[in-house]
Amino acid sequence: MKKVLLAPLDPVHDNAVKLLKRKLSEAGYDAIAMRPGTTSEEVIEKALEERPIAILVSRTLGYKVAETLGRLVDLAEASGLREMTRLGVGGMAITKETGGELGFDACFTGELNMTEVLAFLEGKPVGLQTAGNAVAERQKPNIVQGFTYAFKDKEIETLLDGIVDQILEWVKGKTSPGIERAKLRAEMLAEGISLRSPAKVSLTQQRLREQYLALCDDTIRAFYLTDKLPAGVRWLAAAEIEAMENLLGSAKARYSPLRHVGEKPLFFSQYGTGCPVMDVMHIKVAEAWGVDGVLHFDPSWGAQCEGLLEGYLSHEHDGTILTLENLKFIRHAQEPATLWNVRGHRGLNTPETQVLGHAAGADLFKINIPYGSTAGGTDPQRLTVDGVYSLRLAAEYGIPFDIPGNDELSGVPPFKTFAGILIMVALGLKLGAKPIPKPLLCYSPYMTIYGRMDDNMIDMNIAKLMVWREIVDAPVWPGEPVGFMTHSPERVQSSMMTAVHAALASSMGVDAVTIASSDEAYSKGPISAAARVDTLRAVRDALRFQGSVQLTPTPRALTLADEIHDGICEVLKTVAERGDFVASICEGLLGNEEDGLYPGRIGAGTVSGGRL
Amino acid sequence: MMQKALDRVVDALDVETFLYAADEEEARSLAEQLAAELNLPHGDVVFLEYKGFGARVRIRSYIHHPGDRYRWLERGSSK
Repeated sequence: MKKVLLAPLDPVHDNAVKLLKRKLSEAGYDAIAMRPGTTSEEVIEKALEERPIAILVSRTLGYKVAETLGRLVDLAEASGLREMTRLGVGGMAITKETGGELGFDACFTGELNMTEVLAFLEGKPVGLQTAGNAVAERQKPNIVQGFTYAFKDKEIETLLDGIVDQILEWVKGKTSPGIERAKLRAEMLAEGISLRSPAKVSLTQQRLREQYLALCDDTIRAFYLTDKLPAGVRWLAAAEIEAMENLLGSAKARYSPLRHVGEKPLFFSQYGTGCPVMDVMHIKVAEAWGVDGVLHFDPSWGAQCEGLLEGYLSHEHDGTILTLENLKFIRHAQEPATLWNVRGHRGLNTPETQVLGHAAGADLFKINIPYGSTAGGTDPQRLTVDGVYSLRLAAEYGIPFDIPGNDELSGVPPFKTFAGILIMVALGLKLGAKPIPKPLLCYSPYMTIYGRMDDNMIDMNIAKLMVWREIVDAPVWPGEPVGFMTHSPERVQSSMMTAVHAALASSMGVDAVTIASSDEAYSKGPISAAARVDTLRAVRDALRFQGSVQLTPTPRALTLADEIHDGICEVLKTVAERGDFVASICEGLLGNEEDGLYPGRIGAGTVSGGRL
Repeated sequence: MMQKALDRVVDALDVETFLYAADEEEARSLAEQLAAELNLPHGDVVFLEYKGFGARVRIRSYIHHPGDRYRWLERGSSK
């Protein structure tokens, strides 16, 4: 058994040594721990006697650090010990610079990282290089893997079957400018053609350009025909892109999951500062602090405008413009194992967004017809036609899609929102796609008005998660983000609310969680990189605090879950009886004016073909 | 030429402190004055909570807005 000598060169502190002794013993080493107050001479004497492969020195107190540790290194040199024994140092008083300057072979700073310690003992490189290798070996997680999508509630399954059949019958023969542009965009990608004119224009490009622009709004047409940029948009210079890529090449952070135990949930954060370069910086910060995935948010005007732009474009307001170039740049900057979701569920470019997202390497899409055609503002007919087409694309590409339930933020009760999500689940499955329901953990208007969370915020949120497990064997991904409407601009409060919601969701065994930054409730400026770190740090510690502890639902949580479950059944019965999904949305069966929902108007009258 | 540390601020610079003040109005006024004294461009009071003797306050100034030319990006340009 290989020996390792553990020496606390510190008058009193030896906790790290005790911890290391246990961990090294578990790893199969003979770890010999000396007592606090040991002198450098005693350490060398013991090492000459035991002949360890390494001496690991711990130092907590900050005074005389260089003198004490330098003495040890000098003695090790003089005794010839260094020919067979390597020296490592760590502890609160140690910085990378201290260790290197004093002549140690390795220096461990921050929290104990056994991977690095063991790598050092095995003679492997320590530090960023090792960490980089670990990142490269990390496999991209698959959220939907292992789920059968079998319905446990057969009544709901039957109701959904009927609703989905009606939707698919209704969309037959129908199309929209969004669908036609998606087809043209797919053709352009296959031909390697862009709409912005090179010097020589082929006949194919000319045809595609004319057809595409005929389906666009004036803002988009002006961009392609006269180079006029929409307000607040500018070209990114090639030098800016290149400079960011250079920065990316010069640094690499070690992946350290937020989870303290287990492989789930995966943690996602949203980005969309408006500028792809700033987005990349934020994504790298989020990755470094432990996220597993990121979600792309585009500008709200982009969803209300027929047609998409091209090129590297920066936008001075929230939401980053959907172009193939922007998306590819952002994807390229991410770690290979980072999951990437491209949102396209609520606007006039939903199908084309799926085409671009797929071309850029998206792992996940986001499509919710009931939400997008009410709170999202898009006409229900238009989004139903576009949404079904988008689900077909998701199935064809093999890309799972998530279904956010953010219409709850308008005041919709969870059972109505969940009924809408379930229709999307069934619709996606029927078309061969893999859906991921996203119940929102929030303090919504419905909860405040009707006092459903007056006592606590746990019972209702547990109920909202439980009900999904009762209905269908599908992944569950609370979002978007968790704790919505519980945050304030006070960053400690905001981070804490995110953390407790994330920990609650984690204890309920969910598959993924979307978390906010501590700027969630600050509306007068963009989210800062530091605000992302605040929340990620808080979530990490909440998960550390909680470990593998699971919460047992209270009787009230069970009652609430029953209420939601029954409510879902009633809503689905009503929609099934109505026999018209679009009419059900327009008539408020999935959320009405009293719930704060109104049918969207954007894109009204643009569906053609079939029987309207 | 050596860059200023301020150039490396990725986006926002927050200043957090506790201000002794007679009431919330004075605290807000002092927070804005503090931003000006620290030469923080367009300082904004993100959070202010007054209780009794003074206010817990966070002031923010964006050194780089999304879409700006980021001075921290110059480090990549020199390669």
